[in-house]
Amino acid sequence: MTSSEASVPAEAARASAQPTRLFVRQTSGLVRELGIPAATGISLASVAVVNTFINFNAGLTDFTKSDMYLPLVAAAVIWLVAMFAYRYLLRAVPRAGGEYVYLSRIVSPAAGSVAGLGIAVVFTYVLSTNAHFAAQFTPFMLSGLGSAFHSTAIANAGTHLTSNIAIAWLSVVVMLIVAALSLFSVKIVARIIFWLIVVQVLAFVVLIGMLAFNSHADFTSALATYSNHPGAFQDIIAAAKSNGVVFGTSIASAVAIIPFMVLNYNGVLYSYYVGGELRRPGRTYLYASAISIGVLVVLWVGVWALLRARVGLTFMQAQANLGAANPTAYGKITSLNSVAGGLGYGMVLSSDPITKILFATAVPLAEIAVNLAFLTVTTRVLFAQAFDRLLPVGVAKISDRNHAPNVAISIVLVIGIGFCFLTSLVNLGSIVALQSLFFALILLAGGISATVLPLRRSDLIETPGMAEEARRQWLRKVTLVGAATTVLALFTVYELVAHSSVYGKFSWESILTLVIVLGAGPVIYLIARSVRKQRNSLDLTMAMRELPPE
Amino acid sequence: MLRGKKASRQRALRIYFATDLHGSEVCFRKFLAAAKVYEADVIILGGDFAGKAIVPVLTENGMLRARAGGEDVTVPESEWDRLAANLGKQGLYPVRLEAAELARLEEDPGALDRLFRDEISAQMKRWCDLAAERLDPAVRCIITPGNDDPLDADQVLAAHDRVECPELELCDLGPVTMASLGVVPTTPWNTERECSEDELGKQIDEMLEQVPSGQPCILNLHCPPYASGLDEAPELDDTLKPVIRGGRPSIIPVGSHAVREAIKRYQPVVGLHGHIHESRGAQKIGRTLCVNPGSDYSSGVLRGAVIDIAQDGSCLDFLLTTG
Repeated sequence: MTSSEASVPAEAARASAQPTRLFVRQTSGLVRELGIPAATGISLASVAVVNTFINFNAGLTDFTKSDMYLPLVAAAVIWLVAMFAYRYLLRAVPRAGGEYVYLSRIVSPAAGSVAGLGIAVVFTYVLSTNAHFAAQFTPFMLSGLGSAFHSTAIANAGTHLTSNIAIAWLSVVVMLIVAALSLFSVKIVARIIFWLIVVQVLAFVVLIGMLAFNSHADFTSALATYSNHPGAFQDIIAAAKSNGVVFGTSIASAVAIIPFMVLNYNGVLYSYYVGGELRRPGRTYLYASAISIGVLVVLWVGVWALLRARVGLTFMQAQANLGAANPTAYGKITSLNSVAGGLGYGMVLSSDPITKILFATAVPLAEIAVNLAFLTVTTRVLFAQAFDRLLPVGVAKISDRNHAPNVAISIVLVIGIGFCFLTSLVNLGSIVALQSLFFALILLAGGISATVLPLRRSDLIETPGMAEEARRQWLRKVTLVGAATTVLALFTVYELVAHSSVYGKFSWESILTLVIVLGAGPVIYLIARSVRKQRNSLDLTMAMRELPPE
Repeated sequence: MLRGKKASRQRALRIYFATDLHGSEVCFRKFLAAAKVYEADVIILGGDFAGKAIVPVLTENGMLRARAGGEDVTVPESEWDRLAANLGKQGLYPVRLEAAELARLEEDPGALDRLFRDEISAQMKRWCDLAAERLDPAVRCIITPGNDDPLDADQVLAAHDRVECPELELCDLGPVTMASLGVVPTTPWNTERECSEDELGKQIDEMLEQVPSGQPCILNLHCPPYASGLDEAPELDDTLKPVIRGGRPSIIPVGSHAVREAIKRYQPVVGLHGHIHESRGAQKIGRTLCVNPGSDYSSGVLRGAVIDIAQDGSCLDFLLTTG
C-alpha cells in the first residue's frame, strides 16, 4: 500500500508531462492504416498520364500561339488550393464519398441527391467521351501495330476508320469491352486496371527516355524516314504557314488553355475518396496530394520541355493545326496521326517493335482503365439514387450469379452508347472542353461545400474546447480556402464559357446536350417525387428531412 | 373480396430502423425524434450502440486538458459541460481523470476494459431514461445489441421499462413477428458477440422455428447477408491493413453466408441489417427486402430506414433516410 502510494506522484508526473491520448477499444471496422505512400499511389493511379498528349493537342489546335508551361503550372496551383479545401471536407466527413456526399452532408440532402443524379449522367457522358478518345486513337494504334508487325494490311486498316460513323462504332466497341470486363469480380477488374495503368506509365517513361537521348536532328531525320518524305519536317511547317497558322506564344492563349490542363490533373486529389481508411487522414491526404501534384508538374513540364527542345514548338503548332484544318494537305506529307502528339513523336523515333506497340496502345488502354474505374463510380452513384428511391430499386440489384450490378452496368452502357453516337455524329464542338466543364463544375461543388462548411456544419470541423476567438479564426480560414477554390473553379468555368467558339459552340445541339446532361438530376427528382406521391405511402421528401436532435 | 384485399394492403405498422450509432449522443437524440418526424409506430435501434473510444480529460490546477481531433485542448474546469457535450456528439466518452489514474489505466488493460463497460452501461441507462422522457407512450422503442456491444449492456436494457430488448427472442409487432440477433460471424477484431457461420445458422434456425406457420416475419439480424451489396467493406491483409488493387482499396463482400441461407430458406418479409457502415442500400433476395441503412454517426448524421407494413404483414413501401 505504502509503496503504491509512493509511486503515484512519479506516475502522475510522467502522465502530466505526456500529452493525453485516446483510449480505443477493440471494435470492428477500425481500419485507418493507409499511409502516405499508399495514398500517393492511389492519387497517381487515378490520373491518366498519357491523356496529357490529348490535352496538349487540344490546346495547340484550338488556340493560336499556344504554349503549355503556364497552363500546366496554373492548373497545378488551382488543384493545390483545392487540395486545402478538400482537406477540410475530409476532416468534416472522413469517409469515402466525394462531392455528392459533401453536398448532401453540408449543403442539404436534397442538393446532394440532385447533384448525385447530375453526376451520374455526367459520368456516363464522360465514359462515352473517353471511349471516343480511344476510338480516335484507333487509326494511330493500327498504324503503330502495322509498323511493329511489318503488316501494311493492319497499318492501312486505320485509314478506313477515320469517318464520324466509324469513330462512333469504334466508341461503341470500346464501351462494350469495358462493360464486358466489368462483369468480372472486383478483384479481377482491379488487376486489369492495374496492368493497364502499368502499360501507360511504361509508355510515358520510355517516351521521356527517347526524347532525352535523341537530338532535334535525329527527330527531323526520323520523321522523313517515317513519312517516306524527305524534308517532311520543313514541309509541314511551310504548309501550315500557307494555311494561315500563326506561330509563337501568347499569354492570352496560355490563360485560355488552363481549363484543358485542369482536366489533365483530374484525379490527383482522389486519395480523399478513401478518407475513411487513411491513417491521420488530414495529414496523410495533404502530403499524398502535394507529392502527387509535385510529381505530375515535374513530369509534364519536363515532357513539354523535352518536346519543345527535340521536336520544336513551331513544328508542334504547325502539325496540330494543319492536321485539323487541312488534313488532305497534311496527309500528302506524312501518315503520322496529327492528334497523337508526343506518342506520335515517340513512334517516329522508335526503332523496335516493342516500343512501337507500347506507344500505339497507350491511349486506348489508358482510356479503358479510366472507363473501368468510372463505370464503378457511375454504378455506385446510380445505386445511391436507387436507395433514395429516385430510380427504381431494381437498378441496384446485385446478380446472384456473378455478384455484379448487371442492371446498373446495362443502363450505363445503353446511355453511354447513345452519347457515343451523339458526340461522334452531332459535332458538339470540342469534347475535351465539355469534359473540362464538367470537372470544373464538380470542383465548384467541392469549393462551395468547403465555403459553406463553417456556416452549415461548423460542429464537424471544430475541435472540442476550442477558445471562442481561435474558433472564429479557424472557421474564417476554412471559409477563405473554400472561397478561393470556388473562385478558381469559377475562373475555369468562365474561361470555358468565354471561349465558347473553342470550348463547344453554342449550337442548339450542344445546348440541348448540356441541358440534358446537367438538368437530368432535378427533372428525375421532380418526376420521382410526383409519381411516388400518387402511388406510394411514403413521401420522397421524408428521405431528406433534417432531424431535430433536441 | 376486392375491398378485403385493399384493406389488407393498407398500412398497419410503420417501422423506423437505425443502427450502428456507436455512442453518438446527437444521433441517439435524432433517433428519438425520428418517431415523430416519420410518424413511426415502432423505432428500432439495431445494434452497435456502444462507443469506441474514451477521451481522458486530465484535471490539473483548475484546468482540463484533453486530446481531441488530433489536437491538445486546455480549457477551464467551468467548461467541462461544453467539452463533454462536444466530445459526446462524436460518440466519444469523456472521462475526468487525475494524472495518477490515467497512468494506471495506461498500464492496466483490465481496468481500462472495466471503465469502458461502465461508461457504455451508464450511457445506455441515460439513453433509456431519455427515451422514456421524450417518446410518445404509444411508440414502441426496441434496442437490440450488435457485435460491438458488451454483454453487460443487455442487463441495463432488460431492466428498463420503456425500452424492449428482444435479443434472441421473437417479438410481436402486430401484423409481423420480429426475430433479433446481434451475433456476427468471426471478425478480425475478435469482438464480444461472434461465432462461426454454423453456430450462427443454428441460432437463427432455433429462433425462426418458433414462428407460427404462416405468420409473416421480420429478421433483425445485425450482420447483412453475404454478397448482397449490403456487406461491401475494404479487404484487409493479415496485419489489418487495407489491400490496394488497381490503385484503389479492394472492396469485398464480408457478410454472413448463414444469414443469406436463412433469408433464402425462410423468406421473411423484411431483413433489417447493419454492421457495415459504408454499405448502405436495399436489395431483394427472393421475396425478402433486405435493408442496411448504413451509418454516418461520426458526422452526427442519422441514417435510417422507414418501412411500412400492411395489415396482411407484407411490405408496402420503404425509404432510406438521412437526417
